[in-house]
Amino acid sequence: MNELIPLMVIVPLMAALLISAFSKFNRITKIFAFVVALCLPLIPILSNYGLHYFGGYEPMLDNVTGVMFHPAITYSFTFLQQVFIGAVGLLTFLVIFIYLTKYKEVSGPYLFLLFLGTAAVTAMILTDDIFHMFVFFEILALAQVGIVAASSIDYSYEMALKYMILGSIGSPMMLLGIGFLLALTGSVNITDIASAVHMGLIDATSPVFLLSLALIFFGWLYASGLPPFHTIKSGIYSKAEPHGAALLQSFTVMAMISIVLIMFRIYSSLPIFEVLIVFFSILAMILGVSLALTQTDFRRMIGFLAVGELGFIGLGIGLGTNFSLTAGLFQALNEILITALLFIGFGAIVNATNEVDTRKLGGLLAYHPKVSIMLLIGGLAMAGVPPLNGFQSKLMLVQASLSCGFPELSILAIMVSIATFVVFVKTYYTIFLKPKPNDLELENRDVPRSMVLVMGILLIIIVILGIFPDMVTNGISSFVGGIL
Amino acid sequence: MKLYDQIFGVVKQFKKLFSPGPVTNADVSGSITAEIFLIVSMVLAVILLRHISPLLAGLVTLILAIVLISNIPLIPKFKIEQEDSLEKMLFYAIVVLALIVTFIYWGGSLV
Repeated sequence: MNELIPLMVIVPLMAALLISAFSKFNRITKIFAFVVALCLPLIPILSNYGLHYFGGYEPMLDNVTGVMFHPAITYSFTFLQQVFIGAVGLLTFLVIFIYLTKYKEVSGPYLFLLFLGTAAVTAMILTDDIFHMFVFFEILALAQVGIVAASSIDYSYEMALKYMILGSIGSPMMLLGIGFLLALTGSVNITDIASAVHMGLIDATSPVFLLSLALIFFGWLYASGLPPFHTIKSGIYSKAEPHGAALLQSFTVMAMISIVLIMFRIYSSLPIFEVLIVFFSILAMILGVSLALTQTDFRRMIGFLAVGELGFIGLGIGLGTNFSLTAGLFQALNEILITALLFIGFGAIVNATNEVDTRKLGGLLAYHPKVSIMLLIGGLAMAGVPPLNGFQSKLMLVQASLSCGFPELSILAIMVSIATFVVFVKTYYTIFLKPKPNDLELENRDVPRSMVLVMGILLIIIVILGIFPDMVTNGISSFVGGIL
Repeated sequence: MKLYDQIFGVVKQFKKLFSPGPVTNADVSGSITAEIFLIVSMVLAVILLRHISPLLAGLVTLILAIVLISNIPLIPKFKIEQEDSLEKMLFYAIVVLALIVTFIYWGGSLV
């Protein structure tokens, strides 16, 4: 059913608008939000692979040059899109489930932002039109700002505003880069642009083409939270509600892979492109983990770890082989799941203690054993401990960098994994294992059951992907073979 | 003894990093790990320059290692530069934009 392809974007988008318009009817809003959120992971499962041309404008063949042109905005739906849209759809459902069960009176604008963000990342990964991608990239940035500002955490407005101001540098640069590409090729369709570059119709060393790479690359750094945007990215995660942060990080990963795959298709002929990706990925890994080690606010610590993990994704993509790209994309899927589990789990601790400073916490293993065990397994998965999914993707990345002739990168990846393990063990010890401070009050504060249930679901997926990685990696590898 | 004193001095400087509030053993050990991780990973990353020139890689690695070790503690300095100040974030964003454009525009065809 190819008709379902556009519905993956239209359904959350329409739901966002309707919920915002009718939010004063609390009960109906709750039921409607739940039903729509349930549909989000189901649509990509039921849909067939294929292409959707908006307006029905089929590709046209130029009889003189023999080149195919794509006049319509095209959505391409393959196994990769199915997996990632399914994962984000499931996460959106779980996050909305937590939100609906946590509050009696729900906020229409907040649900609007959650659905809007999901629609935006879905469109970004489906589209074959670079300007269409930019429009949804902007919508996503606004939704992210809104989700942070709508949380009731101190200084969340300030952090959201800073993110928006930094976005006012990143986004126009990307638009300018897209403008240069349009000027060179006369098209915004990515397939058309890529074929023009690979057929030699554009001089890949021309200053305008190189400048377009620089500007789009800078916009990508902003979207993915790689340095120099790692501080603000970890900051917005720490100032959002825990379930909101879980969704925000999945939006970041989706935006990162959507844009980098577009850049890869257009600029992969330039060696400098891969050099830049590897450089910024190494920087993200080093800075993310070093700064995570020094944090006392555990939400900020997870934020920095999430940024460090983005470096692994970039590393896989920057190495540029089929195996490394597969590993990078598999790592992206794993990060969406693991980081969501950690944000929700540590959010449950905030809910129970109203405290984020690790120095003021302790002894929580006796009070919240289920949460602590699930967090422990989630942390081990992030650090790359077998047989969990993080181990599988990180092992693939180490193998990929070795086979590409970069043993330094393999050693660095292992070191970052060890440092991640240290961060997690330190935090776990201070929150759960050390004696409980006398002034820490835990009376009448329990972890919501919905949070425990969601953590359990995410954990099951993490373990399944760890034991059977081929379920995903074979399909991703076929997709990567198509773009290489 | 000089190196021991230097490391002890580093630990004492970590106090500022966690103020206000107490400094726990876990925080200090985390910061020392970060310090060592930062130095080793940066030196390791620089070895990648061997793909351009082995001599360049050797020289840069040696110089970087000396500069980093003689400037410990690095983490407090790093943390001050990576704080939530909008001015610093904007500064680094603009510097990186300038570097990327310069590097790609003038060096893009060379790599």
